[in-house]
Amino acid sequence: MLKTRIIPCLDVIKNKVVKGVNFKNIRVMGNAVEMAKYYSLSGADELCMLDINASYQNRKTFIKTVESIAKVINIPLTVGGGVSDLRDITDLLNAGADKVSINSAAVKNPKLIRQASLRHGSQCIVVAIDGKRYKNKMKVVIKGGREITKNELITWAKQVQSLGAGEILMTSMDTDGVQNGFDSNMLKKVTGSVSIPVIASGGVGNLEHFYLGYLTKSTGLLAASVFHSGKYKIKTVKKYLSRKGVPVRI
Amino acid sequence: MKKKVIGLIDGQSGNIGSINKAIKDIIKGRPYRLKIIKGHFNHSSFDKIILPGQGAYATLMSNLKKLKIIKPLKEYLENNSSYLGICVGMQILSDWGYEDKITRGLGVISGDIKKFRNKKLIIPHMGWNTINLNNDDTIIANSFDKKDFYFVHSYIFQNIKKSNVLAFTLYGQKFPSIVKKGNIYGVQFHPEKSHRQGLNLIKNYILKA
Repeated sequence: MLKTRIIPCLDVIKNKVVKGVNFKNIRVMGNAVEMAKYYSLSGADELCMLDINASYQNRKTFIKTVESIAKVINIPLTVGGGVSDLRDITDLLNAGADKVSINSAAVKNPKLIRQASLRHGSQCIVVAIDGKRYKNKMKVVIKGGREITKNELITWAKQVQSLGAGEILMTSMDTDGVQNGFDSNMLKKVTGSVSIPVIASGGVGNLEHFYLGYLTKSTGLLAASVFHSGKYKIKTVKKYLSRKGVPVRI
Repeated sequence: MKKKVIGLIDGQSGNIGSINKAIKDIIKGRPYRLKIIKGHFNHSSFDKIILPGQGAYATLMSNLKKLKIIKPLKEYLENNSSYLGICVGMQILSDWGYEDKITRGLGVISGDIKKFRNKKLIIPHMGWNTINLNNDDTIIANSFDKKDFYFVHSYIFQNIKKSNVLAFTLYGQKFPSIVKKGNIYGVQFHPEKSHRQGLNLIKNYILKA
């Protein structure tokens, strides 16, 4: 039976894992390579890392960090943040990423999804979608939720699938960072309208939240703070889910 | 002592970095040598050949053709020499692939590569799933019965003889996750992404097969 994937997410600046997206109060949580190694050894099913400050100078160090991480882990690695064109995707795959996640660039230029999946195969193209409720509709947002696009969430999710995305990384900006649980309602709408795997992201604060995430039919559950802060070990989460009858790799 | 030569084929179908590193770690301090195959090669100068692959069947076959690898690889396999195909590197052992367009494969293990039949499944089959032993095999399959490996694929080996299926996996249906004919092995999952279990499998293949 296919197991539900538990995926720690590292928000990275250069080679450091940082907390949150609030640029004013950046807190360093640790060294990215060390943390990646730790999660791989402690039972993570995949790892996700995002360049949250992809400036030209930081980018070089970030790519070196991807290379170092790819060398020390042997679980799948998804890398995203600041991916703007085919060149960026190729660079990250060459650095050792197994999958590359595209967000704003896909919204601005949907053809990029098709070009990337034709060149590298759908299996390594993840489209990250940030969703937010706006005037009673679920919309796609970019720039960390600061810009609401014209795209309606479900239409966009279906579109990225038809353009060749192999997976959707779905973050609800209404629940992200609040630790009150995943946005079950939004996630169910998305998983119900596409047939590619969906990773749930945004809002995990306790063990039950993981279980509720599983019930949305998301096949991957992504979390950051609860792992980085040491609140839960990956094994703790998996044991809990297993007791609830969720198939996990232990 | 003469070192055994392992060939790792770079079919320009995904990154070979992880598998390259895994092999290097395993053969460190052991009488093996690793050579990357990027073009025509002499089939008699290799003791083992590993072919990893990602993406589409047709793409890998056409890459191998362009790189002039098909002919020596076929000669190598016809001699029943030791081979490990990973993901698409396993799929091309079949007669035909039905991904994108119908493509002729290497025809080593009879069968076709077709899409999962169940239309309601989440495709690709992506993540960790269990392998179940079908036929006894002391080198690779026995040690890994009921263990989880990382899969990512939308197509599976069909119309294959039961005797060629070493292990199967369940996802909407039973499908072959390890195939074997003589000294030729193929795995549908990615051992190079399957943490300790995966590395152990590659190690078993290199040291025992």
